[in-house]
Amino acid sequence: MRLRRGWAGRAAAYAILLVGSFIALFPLFWTISTSIKQRNDTFVLPPRFFDFVPTLKNYIAIFDTRGFGHVYLNTVVITLGSTVICVLLSTLAAWSLARAPRFASRQPLEVSLILVRAIPAIVIMVPMFSITSQLGLYDNHLVLILIYAAVNLPFATWLMTSFVEQVPITLEHSAAVDGARRWQILVHVVLPMILPGMAATTIFVALLTWNEFLIPVMLAGSSAKTLPVFISGFISARNLDWGPMAAASALAMVPIAILTVLAQRWLISGLSSGAIKG
Amino acid sequence: MQQGIPVAEGPIARRTARLAQMLVLPGWLLILAVFALPILGALYLSFRNETLGAFAPPRFIGWENYSTALGDPRFWESIRTTLLLTALGLIVQLPIGTGLALILHRNLRGTVMFRTILIIPMLLTPVAVGLMWRFMFDTDLGIINWALGGLGLDGPNWLGARWPAIWAVVIVDSWQSIPFIMLVVLAGLAGLPAGPAEAAAIDGARPWQVFVYVTLPALAPVMLVLVMIRIIDSLKMFDIIFIVTTRGGPGTATQTLGMLIYNTGFGFFQTSRAAALGILMVLLVLPVYGLWRRAARVAR
Repeated sequence: MRLRRGWAGRAAAYAILLVGSFIALFPLFWTISTSIKQRNDTFVLPPRFFDFVPTLKNYIAIFDTRGFGHVYLNTVVITLGSTVICVLLSTLAAWSLARAPRFASRQPLEVSLILVRAIPAIVIMVPMFSITSQLGLYDNHLVLILIYAAVNLPFATWLMTSFVEQVPITLEHSAAVDGARRWQILVHVVLPMILPGMAATTIFVALLTWNEFLIPVMLAGSSAKTLPVFISGFISARNLDWGPMAAASALAMVPIAILTVLAQRWLISGLSSGAIKG
Repeated sequence: MQQGIPVAEGPIARRTARLAQMLVLPGWLLILAVFALPILGALYLSFRNETLGAFAPPRFIGWENYSTALGDPRFWESIRTTLLLTALGLIVQLPIGTGLALILHRNLRGTVMFRTILIIPMLLTPVAVGLMWRFMFDTDLGIINWALGGLGLDGPNWLGARWPAIWAVVIVDSWQSIPFIMLVVLAGLAGLPAGPAEAAAIDGARPWQVFVYVTLPALAPVMLVLVMIRIIDSLKMFDIIFIVTTRGGPGTATQTLGMLIYNTGFGFFQTSRAAALGILMVLLVLPVYGLWRRAARVAR
């Protein structure tokens, strides 16, 4: 009896996992499939899942006529710049929060980090638009880089704090006893131990930055335009241009899906420890 | 895990505090420039009548933008929509996410593979995700209504009527958010001692009884923080609505407060009104912030 219930339970569990996986993957599959279809294979019922002749036409179209290469490069540059700044600043703040129980701005900093995480970015974008256009900073890469870095700072700091806390503090104490200076301890003792954590944080922040839409849709013109803004442009242009749209979407999402599979261990432990803080 | 305790008193502690204060300065600068300054800017703008491309010189008009907002039925409608989407999202996502976490927690063969597949949606670009779902929601040629037709059901005009559009947003949001809930609950389950659940099972409790009376109460603190984070992120929801229902349509059926701010400021170029709405939104978020801090304290 007990054995049979275990068997049935396991079958039910697998059925749910399979259905869940199908639902999780289908839109991604459908994006890729639509991106390599001819127009007349896209708009038919019943839908063509595998019985069509694949084409790269849609990919060529977005690179040729819409300046996709420029946008992709923009997104890579902005993502890299913003991620480096965010991870550096959050690591410094994380060491302070983990190691100094009292310092002058500790409490205000803790409160500010939560507020930055909680206040919707749309609130700051209205004045930010006025400020940047008056200063001639609209459509500026560096402005985008700094805003992204600030938006992701709370999450990155909480994540890094949990990694610094895992470094035994006795290591720092004994280095101090041996006469090492503070900065030497930070660079030679703490840094090597938190490098894996910094790598995980980097992946996360890079993902969030890569996907960010609200900030560039308001602050980026044609020169600093990023991938999500480019993709959103298909809506207002021609509503029925699904092929090129799917091609652009696939180029945004496939790198993420691959990264997820490769780095899933880091991503999972990071997400669960960094997200819950506050 | 904390190994050893940072020193709290004495000259070493003072030196540590000085260093810490120095190291957080760059972070402070960034927060002040990107958040504090614009919020002060929003306050300033909210008492003026600035619009983009206005002929009259802007001036201070006191509380007018606030009284206009509070007297505007669209403002209250947007708050109702925001709260409705948040509530529906929680009702759909919490049980499914928790259920998936419980299944993964059984550590059946293939768990790592399934877990990897199931977290993919949460990391994908929301704009691209939204467009793809919009394509699938198409009334006549979309694959969803085709599949529903195969089941003998008549699919709705998803993005053309109020309730179907609301559900469309909830579905896309859930598709991206359930993995997050699943991961956090999974981490919570991993942190629970196995003893109580095993003891209950040996004493003859059925699996659902073990879950309701042993596991769930132990998970409550984690769940509480999770709900707060989900509420905060629902209030922020922007990309999906922007794309799936074209900035809050049909009409204003899915226009959340965030979307109303965007449409006011960047659709109708009423900068000052949008700024006032933004300040009102901060006031809406603050109670959630308070609850979150309290929940986080309980969870620790």
